[in-house]
Amino acid sequence: MSDYTLDSAEGRVEALRRMLTIRSFDETAGERFADGEIPGFVHLYVGEEAVGVGTCAALNDDDYIASTHRGHGHCIAKGLNPKYMMAELYGKADGYCNGKGGSMHIADVDAGMLGANGIVGAGPPMATGAALSIDYQGRDQVAVGFLGDGAVAQGQVHEAVNLASTWNLPAIFVIENNRYGEGTPVEQQHNVDNLSDTAAAHGIPGVTVDGMDVTAVAEAVEEARKRARAGDGPTMIEAETYRYRGHYEGDEQVYRDEDEVERWREQDPIASFKERLIDRGELTEAVFEEMQAEAQATIENALAYAKEADDPHPSEAYEDMFGDSVPEIERFAQQATARTDGGDH
Amino acid sequence: MAQAGIEQTETMTVREAIRQALREELDRDDDVYMMGEDIGDMGGVLAVTGDLIDEFGEERVRDTPISEAGFVGAATGAAATGTRPVVEIMFSDFMGVSMEQTMNQMAKMRYMFGGKTEMPVTIRTTEGGGMGAASQHSGTVHAWIAHFPGLKAVSPGTAESAKGLTKAAIRSDDPVFVFENKMIYERQGEVPTDPEFTVPIGEAAVEREGSDVTVLATQRLVGDSLDVAEDLAGGTSVEVIDARSLYPLDTDTIVESVEKTGRLVVADESPLSYGIHAEVATRAMENAFFSLDAPIQRVGTPDTHIPFSPTLEDEVLPDGDDVREAIGRIT
Amino acid sequence: MARVGLVVNPGAGRDIRRLTGGASVVDNRAKERVAACVLDGVTVLSEPPMVSIMPDRAGIAAAAAENAPDTVTVEILDLPVEGSAEDTRRAVAHFRESADVVVVLGGDGTTRDAAVESGPMPVLAVSTGTNNVVPTPVDGTVAGAAAAVVAAGRVDTDAVTTRHGTVEARAETPTGEATVTGLASVEVSARSFVGTRALIDPADLVGGVVSRAHPTEIGLSGATGCLDPFGPEAAGGAALRLRDPATASRTVRTAVAPGVTATVGIESHDRLAAGETARFDVADGVVGADGEREQELVDATVDITPRENGPQLIDVRDALDRAARAGVLVRD
Repeated sequence: MSDYTLDSAEGRVEALRRMLTIRSFDETAGERFADGEIPGFVHLYVGEEAVGVGTCAALNDDDYIASTHRGHGHCIAKGLNPKYMMAELYGKADGYCNGKGGSMHIADVDAGMLGANGIVGAGPPMATGAALSIDYQGRDQVAVGFLGDGAVAQGQVHEAVNLASTWNLPAIFVIENNRYGEGTPVEQQHNVDNLSDTAAAHGIPGVTVDGMDVTAVAEAVEEARKRARAGDGPTMIEAETYRYRGHYEGDEQVYRDEDEVERWREQDPIASFKERLIDRGELTEAVFEEMQAEAQATIENALAYAKEADDPHPSEAYEDMFGDSVPEIERFAQQATARTDGGDH
Repeated sequence: MAQAGIEQTETMTVREAIRQALREELDRDDDVYMMGEDIGDMGGVLAVTGDLIDEFGEERVRDTPISEAGFVGAATGAAATGTRPVVEIMFSDFMGVSMEQTMNQMAKMRYMFGGKTEMPVTIRTTEGGGMGAASQHSGTVHAWIAHFPGLKAVSPGTAESAKGLTKAAIRSDDPVFVFENKMIYERQGEVPTDPEFTVPIGEAAVEREGSDVTVLATQRLVGDSLDVAEDLAGGTSVEVIDARSLYPLDTDTIVESVEKTGRLVVADESPLSYGIHAEVATRAMENAFFSLDAPIQRVGTPDTHIPFSPTLEDEVLPDGDDVREAIGRIT
Repeated sequence: MARVGLVVNPGAGRDIRRLTGGASVVDNRAKERVAACVLDGVTVLSEPPMVSIMPDRAGIAAAAAENAPDTVTVEILDLPVEGSAEDTRRAVAHFRESADVVVVLGGDGTTRDAAVESGPMPVLAVSTGTNNVVPTPVDGTVAGAAAAVVAAGRVDTDAVTTRHGTVEARAETPTGEATVTGLASVEVSARSFVGTRALIDPADLVGGVVSRAHPTEIGLSGATGCLDPFGPEAAGGAALRLRDPATASRTVRTAVAPGVTATVGIESHDRLAAGETARFDVADGVVGADGEREQELVDATVDITPRENGPQLIDVRDALDRAARAGVLVRD
């Protein structure tokens, strides 16, 4: 089982907490990026929290997920520690990838997180592969491949879904349709209105759910998981959602107007779930505010940790190319070690 | 040349040697399985996998859709999650279809993730012209893979190295591409029968000792160069090295040989520019510059594709005569 | 000139019943073809009615309009497109003022949205959705023909249409009131959340009220129809209360969703007159309409009432039967 399921009041509150943590993390990352502290690119998940959290709530802890370039939310939903995530964003030695991956490549394979991925559409083949390992070894797991609406146009996505379907593997493909593939509206990239219709081409069920409603996403993934574990093969789920921020931080968003963003904010996945939990008597406004403050504090601590953490030693650049060392790289590693050791003395 | 300490050998073809390697590794490790187009009941388009499906069943000898991006991507995901796929890409020319999964996922995951995953995947594929298969089924593209960080590439020239390298590739926790030249599948050689026999990746083999000139050869050109060496024996003493591993490359063995002979010919079927030849020549130059008595010679495909007509194919494909001429130019 | 309004809901037919049951996929291309068939069908009249189409993001209306027969004048309404049920309601409201008939391609959900605004205008509902109790599974060409003869006044509208009922639920909760309206049924489910909307697990179903009942129908109206069938034109409805089939004195085995036949335990079954109310207490559950969960409720009392205020639905068979008998379909 996951740490949290939507079957209990505690689980629902925990799901809300994860959504709050994701939002705090990404809003903070956006600020720190704007301030020039975080190098590279960051792609934020603000607005889409219900998809990652709903999905992971329906998974077991040892199930796999393969993420996208917009992966922070998936990481937190899957239970990764924001401290080491933030350290990775800062390129620090203690980051999940020792500073070699950054925002777009956070991974923790032992925790079932097969990596954020900078290539659009790369998650599904990874999920099919993990599902192949699961099936081959007869393990009681499933593998989820996240993809964006843009990725539905990628050949490798369809090859992966076809293979998973043909081999009847326990995979689930979750399309996060946030309405824009980078800066181009979904209608200009696909000639189907429901991206889940493409499942029909692969002989598997495809469904579209409200991706702003964590309960809808969780329910669909739960059904898909049951189906996969019953040996009935993969499922495609399209979650209709929206990203409030640009494709990447710094995106001028000329392709949409603020009214549209506001309309989607009215269905905010956190605010709407919060209201429902309050209506159900499972949450109070005061508790919610406390949770919000806690989430903010968690991220502030993560930020402080990341800022103070050590940079990687330059020789780290030569680590992890292979399981063993090769002479072609080893000599550079030795030079880096000698150079910095010499400098230290 | 047999490995030290290995007594028992058997004569077999390169094709049989590879199949034996696959059989032994499937026997040895339940986590190993194969996947590729028509490798099951059809036995492989060039008959390498043969009847392995009868021995191991369709779960372990898996026919895939014609979908290189799909199954190379899946093999990458599978290797990251606890199994050890051995993939056959029917012709190396088809690797373009799965280059994304190879370059950005398979090659980079271990590194990008700070060592958080192993990547025990083996890709076997066929290369080389000589059967009139034309440009899209005859290429020698191993320089792409040898060039790309995070991938290992081997290219056996003998039955023994074919078996030993295939086994080493499957046992490796890194992605290893095994480039099989399709024209030497019928070439015979002595092959150790010990199931623990492997050829370490990154070690070249001196297949024939000599003192006047070194020929560093790969794949089909190893045998062709050995024939030339035999022909020239008595006149010119040719040392023939099978590179065996393209990445990592055994610089030490090459340098040792060049220090002895002072002359180097690099014979590899890939196109001449920006490739294996240049890399070997550079390593010789960097490490044995003052031992070189003559310019390094390259034998390869003259930067064309492989044409269809046998006359044209003969024109561009490097062979023993080209090696002989190259030796003649510097001895 | 007579005018036919056409609504094609691009979002119909995609919900979770494709995963939990055997519902089929009707993709945009298929919907576009059905729309094209409707446009072709109206040419059974030598002076075909004009057709106005609801705009959509998927380009279904545009493609259908482009390929329309030369003899048919087609316009695409100049209305905003949100990609939601509001599009259907807005277009039908427009048609009520401007068209003689509206053809709706969708499922029960789309027809329900259309019915909110259709008023006295005849509605021809063609099934392209999931849980289709109300819309007719008919070829688009035939639907177009039937719509044309009704729109052109070539058959007596009253004779070929029936007023469908509705079922209205009013919920009182500690935090306020809520209303849900269904065409064929309103269901009460013990499942806590709207979630993926479809009533996927028959064990969750507590009961509800139907405006029609027949074993050919899927969902609560099908279960009710196993006990006592009645048509959509019949006044009033029926209330059905369910219980665990293991302890029920009688059960019915019926299609609760496409591909999901289940044994349902009957606690009680009562015919209701129009305006008569059945009350359900909901501790933690959802009220749904036509097989879709709509409204989450905690500690609520729900009064559910059949009413006679649904859409004026065209019977395709009747319409063309009368047209033929009147010689409308023969050209001399």
